[in-house]
Amino acid sequence: MGLLNPRALRWKIAALAAAACCAVAAVVGFLVHDATRERGLRVGHERTITRLIAAERELSRTGKAPPDVDVRTPEELPEPLARDLADQPDTGGEYATWYDADPPNWYWMWGAVAVGDRQVLVVRHDMSTEVRSLQLLDRSIVKSVLAALVFVVPLAALATEPINRRLRHGARTARRIADGELDARIGSTGRARDEITEMSAAVDDMASALQRKLENEQRFTADVAHELRTPLMGLVTAAGLLPESDEATHLVRDRVRALNALIEDLLEISRLDAGAERARPDAVPLGELVADVVRRTGTETRVTAGAAGTVETDPRRVERIVVNLVTNAHRHGAAPVEVTVTGARISVRDHGPGFPAALLEQGPQRFRTGATERGRGHGLGLTIAQGQADVLGARLTYANAPEGGGDGDGHGAIATLDLAPVPPGPPDASRTP
Amino acid sequence: MPEPRVPDPVNVLVVEDDATIRRAVQLALERYGYRVDVAADGLSGLEAFRAGTYDLLILDVMLPELDGIGLCHRIREESLVPVLMMSARGDALDVVAGLEAGADDYVIKPVDTPVLVARIRALLRRATFAPSQSPPPDAPDHLLVFGDLTVDTLGMEVHRAGEPVPLTPTELRLLLEFAAAPGSVLDRRRLLREVWDYGWEGDTRVVDLCVLRLRKKIGSGRIETVRGFGYKLVRT
Repeated sequence: MGLLNPRALRWKIAALAAAACCAVAAVVGFLVHDATRERGLRVGHERTITRLIAAERELSRTGKAPPDVDVRTPEELPEPLARDLADQPDTGGEYATWYDADPPNWYWMWGAVAVGDRQVLVVRHDMSTEVRSLQLLDRSIVKSVLAALVFVVPLAALATEPINRRLRHGARTARRIADGELDARIGSTGRARDEITEMSAAVDDMASALQRKLENEQRFTADVAHELRTPLMGLVTAAGLLPESDEATHLVRDRVRALNALIEDLLEISRLDAGAERARPDAVPLGELVADVVRRTGTETRVTAGAAGTVETDPRRVERIVVNLVTNAHRHGAAPVEVTVTGARISVRDHGPGFPAALLEQGPQRFRTGATERGRGHGLGLTIAQGQADVLGARLTYANAPEGGGDGDGHGAIATLDLAPVPPGPPDASRTP
Repeated sequence: MPEPRVPDPVNVLVVEDDATIRRAVQLALERYGYRVDVAADGLSGLEAFRAGTYDLLILDVMLPELDGIGLCHRIREESLVPVLMMSARGDALDVVAGLEAGADDYVIKPVDTPVLVARIRALLRRATFAPSQSPPPDAPDHLLVFGDLTVDTLGMEVHRAGEPVPLTPTELRLLLEFAAAPGSVLDRRRLLREVWDYGWEGDTRVVDLCVLRLRKKIGSGRIETVRGFGYKLVRT
């Protein structure tokens, strides 16, 4: 999880904290704004009325209104003020006020009182200071919210760090277990007995259960291997001691070899099934390896390795795959069998009847050699090749050559092992250093 | 088939608990001209080893009384004789434990007699190794010096700070391979081919574990691991 990932838990929690902060500020800000405004209006109102009373007194004493007070007829009054003044006798008061907050005469508190017949004293009190201070108050509320956010967001992001660390540790451990480090455990991280601790414990329990199961299977496989190989070793060595010229010797040796191959294949499959196999990669010149491996199979097989690359892979597993593919081609296909190495790709082609449809559709099946014309064999070879390819992270694909293509007779089966499968991009991108 | 008999009989001790294998291997190796003694368990194997002189030992890993790994440890304490381990379990633990105990090579049962004989020959070649590429006797540079380590390519002796270092033939052969190209990286495959006579079928763990044992004897900093490539001998 990168620092910049906007969907990281860190930023989600920071955003939540920021939202909470803003909500509180909005509510408090609204209440303060409203109370201050109320107070400003009340003060303006009181001052206006005080001035009216003073003006009224002055008028009755001297017969003249003070210079800051207008004397108007009711018709000269602004419409809302006139209405309020007309309402005064009904409500039992005599001083009318009107707060003019609309353009063009902004922020005036008007006050009016009727004196004598058709004479009205009118006072205007300037409210712009109050409005201005209200604006400043709003601005300072917004400023302090922003200042709070500057602290709250990084703090919230930082506060998630312990949680993040524990989660990342858990994820890393799980990945290590998946990569075969079976005794890796998350352990109790942090003192808090929270959901993360609970999940860690559950993952650890799962890993232990898996490990036990896997170890039991591995032990069983190893024991079976020992129990089968020991008598087989005696048999193989003893068969080697039989007289050369005897026909029975050849029969016995042939069957011993078959039994040996079958047992080794079964042991290999059970090792692959147990999921305990790990590749031990090495820089391998593929052409050399394949040529050597094919030569040791002792079969009539042509190897073309002109464009072979050097690949980081486990040579013993590549050998198992190539041997199985070549043996399979000879057993079920027809000569000539050709092996071509291009870059990190090995393809084995024969000129027999081709792979059966079931294999092309479902991949290799144990003890199923497909159609009877594919000849004898226990059908484990391709399963092993597939399993080993999986261990290597390579891709093994099966195809039949189009009819009429190639050398004419039959179409033939093509098995291709791609040791460096690159999902997009050029088809034969070899990782040649 | 059986090759012409070796003129100077090679003495081999086979320690194996399975009676059929024991007898069959004995008969098969005798056909190849080896003189073979057998023992059925670890303790009698150790006794037989101490009583006779052997050029090569073949040890099964799973033995009663004292297992093959323990037996190999005991033998290594008193001898540098080539040891070939024979395991019915191909899993990493058996193989690694056997090689850590000081075995020079291993085979997985069942093994064909010709393959077994090929491994025995490769081991014996190392034991009687005479470097053809080494300089003539009068050349002054048959003494190679790397820091406190002195390799005498003529007398086949190795000294560290003046003290002789006992090396098994395989370890010595491996060290000579490094000494022939000091400072350059040797990859595992090449070492497996040059020292153990393996092609691609060989297991590179054999190299790794032998390098480990060699480091213990000549100083751990002398041979450096070059990750992803192999090993190199430090010049000074």
